[in-house]
Amino acid sequence: MNQIFKLKISEAKLLRDMANAISILIDEATFKIDEEGLKLRAMDPSRVAMIDFEWPKTIFEEYECVSPSKICINISELLKLLRRAGKSEAVNLSLDEKTGQLQIVVTGKYKRSFTMPTLEAVEEEVPTPKIDFNVKAKTTTQGLSQAIDDAQLVSDHVRIEADSDKLLFIASGDLMGAKITLQKGSETLLDLETKEASKATFSLSYLSEIIKAASATSEIATLEFSTDMPIRIDFQQAKQGKLIFFLAPRIETD
Amino acid sequence: MRLKSKKKTECWRIPKLKMDSNWVLKHKKRIINFDLDRNLGKNRSKSDFCIKCKGIRLLCGKTRCPLLIRIKHFLKIVPLISNKDISGVSPPSVFIGRIGYPYVYAGPLVPPIHEDTSFFDCPEAWFGKSIDHIVSFRSLLIRGKKRVHAKKFSESGRMYEKILELALADKSVDTELEFIKKPKGSIFIDNNAQPFGPSAVLKKMKISNSKFDYRIERAYFDTDLKSNQAVIDLYRRGVRVSKIQKVFSVGALGIKKNRRLVPTRWSITAIDDIISRNLVSKVRDYPEINEFRVYESNYLDNIFQILFIPSAWSYESMEAWYPGTIWNQNSEKVAIFSDYENFKGRTDYAKIGGCYYSARLAVCEKLHEERRQATVIVLREIHPGYIMPIGVWQVRENVRNAMKQKPKKFKSFEQCLKYAGSKLDIPISDWMVQSELLKRCRYQKKLSEFNLIK
Repeated sequence: MNQIFKLKISEAKLLRDMANAISILIDEATFKIDEEGLKLRAMDPSRVAMIDFEWPKTIFEEYECVSPSKICINISELLKLLRRAGKSEAVNLSLDEKTGQLQIVVTGKYKRSFTMPTLEAVEEEVPTPKIDFNVKAKTTTQGLSQAIDDAQLVSDHVRIEADSDKLLFIASGDLMGAKITLQKGSETLLDLETKEASKATFSLSYLSEIIKAASATSEIATLEFSTDMPIRIDFQQAKQGKLIFFLAPRIETD
Repeated sequence: MRLKSKKKTECWRIPKLKMDSNWVLKHKKRIINFDLDRNLGKNRSKSDFCIKCKGIRLLCGKTRCPLLIRIKHFLKIVPLISNKDISGVSPPSVFIGRIGYPYVYAGPLVPPIHEDTSFFDCPEAWFGKSIDHIVSFRSLLIRGKKRVHAKKFSESGRMYEKILELALADKSVDTELEFIKKPKGSIFIDNNAQPFGPSAVLKKMKISNSKFDYRIERAYFDTDLKSNQAVIDLYRRGVRVSKIQKVFSVGALGIKKNRRLVPTRWSITAIDDIISRNLVSKVRDYPEINEFRVYESNYLDNIFQILFIPSAWSYESMEAWYPGTIWNQNSEKVAIFSDYENFKGRTDYAKIGGCYYSARLAVCEKLHEERRQATVIVLREIHPGYIMPIGVWQVRENVRNAMKQKPKKFKSFEQCLKYAGSKLDIPISDWMVQSELLKRCRYQKKLSEFNLIK
């Protein structure tokens, strides 16, 4: 059997959480795989949010890639299979060149082998936004998702504001309002660099889904934003992994 | 007297009605001007409740909807049935009640008319007819009923088989019904289902031989085909939605052991949902439309403005009930309600009810036909001329009619919104407050609008 690549991940949970974070934005994901690692960059169908993901080969227990290639898989289908795997069971992924089938082998107390088809890969390269960010805030993902939960109680969008010593989440609904303050140096806000006081508004339905799913993979998130510009959220990964989301703002003109 | 049409289901002849077909009209004014408070006392329900409930959930805590009773009060002049038996030609039509589920009343609808009555149960052909006309011929339909267990329908023996046969029949069927008592009641009114006349418990039922449509016959005998797939197959083969709904409600589709009776009002929405869900899954893969469009239609004082916005699939249905319309009697203000779904679709039942799904079906048909996707926002204004609910078919056919018109095309969202606003009575700013997708279209930026680098 000619295999284009062969990967082994020691913990199924890692892969499952990552697949879950990706599935928030897209259904069909085109991964780039080469000697260095596994990469994905894609926009959601409405072009409001973007994911930039990378796993270097050091994350994998075994990593073997014969020739650089692109594969497209249905993430939600993959997720279904991975949900069947126990937390610390090992997962082997391999692609058969002839059949184009992705083979997923889960080894734990017993061995399970699944195959799933790959889809036609998207050739187009997705560009990333080029923005000069004025604010850089480092928070714990736990604190961040709490703040988002609070804001979601009253509204469907949230304004994020920052000055030199605090980060604010302000939500105002039809009847109720909420203001969440993260003070610099507190347990939640680990670091804050502000070049210029900035504020931007974002849709909570996107923001909360992204933050909830990505929090499972990371402890620390770095927010970068400027007034009325897209936000960049970098979820710190172990071993030089990369998981970054971009989200376009809402601009209320009147 | 069967009519021979070249194309099936397209040519309809309306049977002559012996009764005065304007009898509803005469009472329309009285219904609108009627003062509710005097009759129902101070314990009236809040108007908000009524729009959410639409006579189905009975949120006011009463056992019957006072608003519907009020309308019925004026419509008491239905044809009087003096006998305990009737004979006539069923369109064919059946009705499955929902009260007492799983023991529900199932039975045929038969008018005392001896000619082709297929028109009586084909909402697809009703577009353009007045409320008075529709109510007058629908109220001729007399409902025979029989308690049947939704799953164990074989218990009911031959009677169920006859009801089933009637529902599957291709053309009008000669029917004779014998009741235990004289048919009672006036007219049945419901938000989802079409109205019909008095009802009585069945004693005997006779039907003449009927032929099945080959497509329906095949689905009926395939006891390994899931009902979901069966519905989609029938729709693709061109069976009209109201017929699929009928076949579905008598438990004629699906895997043998899962077959069951589905109360008519549930099955109407179920079919709209199943078909449009299937269409949406295809629409999601098509390229986006290139311009902003506005489609419009106005029927029975229901004004539709439908916006197509070049973006990924998402859908919102909004309805504005004027003061004085059936579900908004007591308020001075227009009540606007809405529900929406994102690209991935929805998993829970829409707040605004069955019309959400009917309108979704109609817009998906259009998008699928064009092989395009778009963000669709349906704006519906209901004016006081819509004196009583006559079923969600009105929404489906009204939106389908809008889709047949040539749309107005625009370059920008603001232009298209301005045009739609000029055609509606309610200012756009009021719609905007309630609408999630309108706000999103106006305020949410896209990443592609910013400076991007490879």
